[in-house]
Amino acid sequence: MTDATLNGTGGPARQGPRMRLRAWLGQERVFRWIPFVLVEGVFLLVIIIPFLLTIYISFLRWRANRPFEQAYLSGFRNYEQVLTNEGFWLSLGRTFYFAGAAVTFELIVGFLLAMAVHRVVRGRRIYITLFLIPMMLVPVVAGYNFSMIYLDSGPLNQLLSPITTALGFDPRIRWLSDPTAAQLAIIFADIWQWTSLTFLIFLSGFSALPPQLINAARIMGANRRQIFFWVELPLLKPAIVIAIVIRSMEALKMFDPIVMLTFGGPGTSTQTIAHYLWEQVWMFNKFSFGAAASVLVLIMFSVLIFTGIWLLIRQSDQVENQQLNTGSDR
Amino acid sequence: MTDDIYKPSADAVAKRHKARFDKRVIVRHAFLIAWALVVMFPIYWMLQTSFKDSGEWVTWPPHWVPHEPTLKNYEQIFTFNVQQAGVARDATEQPFNIWGSLADSLIICTFSSLIALLLGTFLAYSISRFNVGGKRFRHSVLMIRMIPPIVIAIPVLMYFAVIIPFATESVFGTRISLFDTRIGVIMLYIAISLPFVIWMMLAFIDEVPYTVEHAARIMGASRMYTIRKIVLPLVASGMVVTFLFIFILNWAEFLLALTLTHPDVSTLPVLLNKFQSASEGRLYGPQAAIGTVITIPVVIMGILIQKHLVKGFSFGMMRR
Amino acid sequence: MARIVLKDLVKEFGLFRAVKGINLDIQDGEFLIMVGPSGCGKTTTLNMISGLVPPTSGSITIGDKDVTFMEPGERGLGMMFQDLALFPHMTVFENVAFGLRVKDTPESEIKERVHKAADAMHITPLLSKRPGQCSGGEAQRVALARTLVTNPEVYLMDEPLSSLDAKLRIDMRTELKGLHKRLKGTFVYVTHDQAEAMTMADRIVVINGGRIEQLGEPLEIYRKPATRFVAGFFGMPTMNFLEGEVAAADGGPLFTNAAIRVPLDATTPASLAGRKVVLGVRSEHVETGTGTNSGEVRLIEPLGDASLVFFEFGDATRLVAKVDPDLEFKSNDKLTFEFDPGNCHLFDTESGVRLN
Repeated sequence: MTDATLNGTGGPARQGPRMRLRAWLGQERVFRWIPFVLVEGVFLLVIIIPFLLTIYISFLRWRANRPFEQAYLSGFRNYEQVLTNEGFWLSLGRTFYFAGAAVTFELIVGFLLAMAVHRVVRGRRIYITLFLIPMMLVPVVAGYNFSMIYLDSGPLNQLLSPITTALGFDPRIRWLSDPTAAQLAIIFADIWQWTSLTFLIFLSGFSALPPQLINAARIMGANRRQIFFWVELPLLKPAIVIAIVIRSMEALKMFDPIVMLTFGGPGTSTQTIAHYLWEQVWMFNKFSFGAAASVLVLIMFSVLIFTGIWLLIRQSDQVENQQLNTGSDR
Repeated sequence: MTDDIYKPSADAVAKRHKARFDKRVIVRHAFLIAWALVVMFPIYWMLQTSFKDSGEWVTWPPHWVPHEPTLKNYEQIFTFNVQQAGVARDATEQPFNIWGSLADSLIICTFSSLIALLLGTFLAYSISRFNVGGKRFRHSVLMIRMIPPIVIAIPVLMYFAVIIPFATESVFGTRISLFDTRIGVIMLYIAISLPFVIWMMLAFIDEVPYTVEHAARIMGASRMYTIRKIVLPLVASGMVVTFLFIFILNWAEFLLALTLTHPDVSTLPVLLNKFQSASEGRLYGPQAAIGTVITIPVVIMGILIQKHLVKGFSFGMMRR
Repeated sequence: MARIVLKDLVKEFGLFRAVKGINLDIQDGEFLIMVGPSGCGKTTTLNMISGLVPPTSGSITIGDKDVTFMEPGERGLGMMFQDLALFPHMTVFENVAFGLRVKDTPESEIKERVHKAADAMHITPLLSKRPGQCSGGEAQRVALARTLVTNPEVYLMDEPLSSLDAKLRIDMRTELKGLHKRLKGTFVYVTHDQAEAMTMADRIVVINGGRIEQLGEPLEIYRKPATRFVAGFFGMPTMNFLEGEVAAADGGPLFTNAAIRVPLDATTPASLAGRKVVLGVRSEHVETGTGTNSGEVRLIEPLGDASLVFFEFGDATRLVAKVDPDLEFKSNDKLTFEFDPGNCHLFDTESGVRLN
């Protein structure tokens, strides 16, 4: 679908028509390269160079309260410190735990919601508008909302009080002061906000199901269950892959709700890797430690990122191939 | 047909005339209504808290509707008049300037989104028509966005606050720091918005068949003319959607803004956080008011573009 | 003067040679159709004439100007695309006026010329509508109006009728031919539909694999195809082909293979004796009810003005005969047949080149 072949390749300089062509080509080159250079330039300046500098810093020994000039190289010491730091590994593990739990739930609930909304006839518009709202909320605000709800004298406890009092507990559960409860609280805050996204992806997946295929199956006598598992589900595979990749990548970065709700506490029970890194640099000013940790985290995440992108590419290639076979010439 | 998420599935419509009280339909609606309640609840709670006077903030049992609704919270945040017991010292010294934060957020988000939109659209055009960057470029730009912001927050912080001043001092003699500046944040936001702009505008530009541009070219139009009169009008709505989308994202962005600004610049999310940490007794009322102010504009924007979000997130799933 | 000369035109895309040396002299005012299967290079050639694709080597001349590397907009062309390429966000009027606006034509002149073109194409009532609101046929005519409003000398058409339904296609064919007569421009038309080529062209150039297989008037191409490919490409149903060899015999040259012996015309060159050939004979030249060969009917397709009889003979070789509609054959009937010797074509088995 590209215009790649239909542009001038340039010819030797000559008078007349070829000169006009060169003028045009001058413009073509403009269009080809300037945006590319500009955008890559921005990336380079704002992201890549800082990051390279970070790598350099990660080899220094430097705390922020001392001027930069006094820093000195100290080899892999920082990396050693990071890799042997318990907090680092714990928060990394916790991050995967949170992300895993939240994303699983979001996938399932989002899928069920999309399926239900797709099949329902009345009130679709309202449901869809409502369900998409959490995603558009500023995460910080969402975090704040939940901090109110999770208060010991908050509405959540009030709603649960029939159950809790019946079981003999004090209904004023201190959600954010108990490690396990706090973890659940964080996970739920994430679920509340981001189920919208999986819902959105699955909904567009469901809407893209070609009715012809389903009709064909019905005529051939398939019942609801068979149609769902043998026809619809395979067709939804792209959506599922996309939802998993996108949501997992985002979930691993969990930060905002933690700052608003628990600040990593109680203790460090809700500290994700993002928060841990932030704390190291912002609170403790351990710049080179933070730098080394950032590099390590990036390396680890790169594997995931590349896998994710590879999956996405494969997915869109597959869909493209399928489209090609549904017959248009050329 | 595939674009229309509002159209029910074929068999749903077929069954509409049959059992309206079909068990399955009831279950579905019950499920959906339950989740709708879950969704609306925190938002409702925030809204109604913002109208509560301080006495009602933490009661047991909590009040579901303010018994004495008041506009005091809004009044306070908009007139720097936060006088409550327990507000920490530096809070009163530095009034919680919602106007300032509003300005910061607006300026930062608008400029970064606009510039990212322009740059990104041109690059998307290049990728679509000239295949700039190779076959996989359009997917690999997304990689920038997938990097956890914390990983770049620290480097960029050091970059802005230390390296650049150091460099400019050695070269120009003056220390120019990008830390705590709007420009610094804008630049960074441009960088992280670009992947999305490119991705979404690519989808829109790809939809304009290139034969239309050929037709114009045959009739003597230059490339700029073609873009101006033909391509841009056709992707105009796409540009609006993309702009709103990244505006929402930038508006909500917290971590990078938090790391890179203090105390002069603070975007709204950062302000909310400051409120939280600075006060010993929590100021739920004003916080709720701030939260509402932050939220309403983007929710409205989001509702406007929701149909188009479907397209943006389909990643090529949609059959044309 | 709008004579187009293509000299040694070659186009390579990386390692792939799409066009392998095309030499063509298109007369001023003629309706030339480039026809061939998908991927044969005909569209690429057209794109080179239009200037959208620069040739790898060779030259293109329009009139007396060498336009090989000239901007498309400067060549004085009009072009129609398969998907019409109308500007969806502009009214029909603006679509048609586009070519004039680009050249800064004064507003009054634009109005006049657009209305003239709209009248000619019968689309005046549509002028304030958008392309999306027009039917298929109307959109076609809008595209045509847009093409002719700039008075080009040369009209290029890239499969413009392919996306139309059958009836509309036939109507448009007539309309295009009429247009050609009125406008007296040079039409270069690309299609993969041989029926379209036969009905509309002054001359046909058959392209296959990036090369010209044959250039000539429609009837000539039909009656004397230069290669096996051309023979098989034109004519509905496809020409019957049999492989075998030529043998000299007392009664004259003969075509033989394991299943059949076909006496050949006296004009058959004697040098062909002993050569492996492919015999081609069209369905209308297969005569039934006479001759010494016998076959069994498999399928009959009544067309109304004739009937197609598909039959088998010998060791399951299949042939088609076009017969009088009144002859009623049924499946499994036995029939006798022979070929009209004056209308047998011989092609070399390997190269496909015509031999007689």
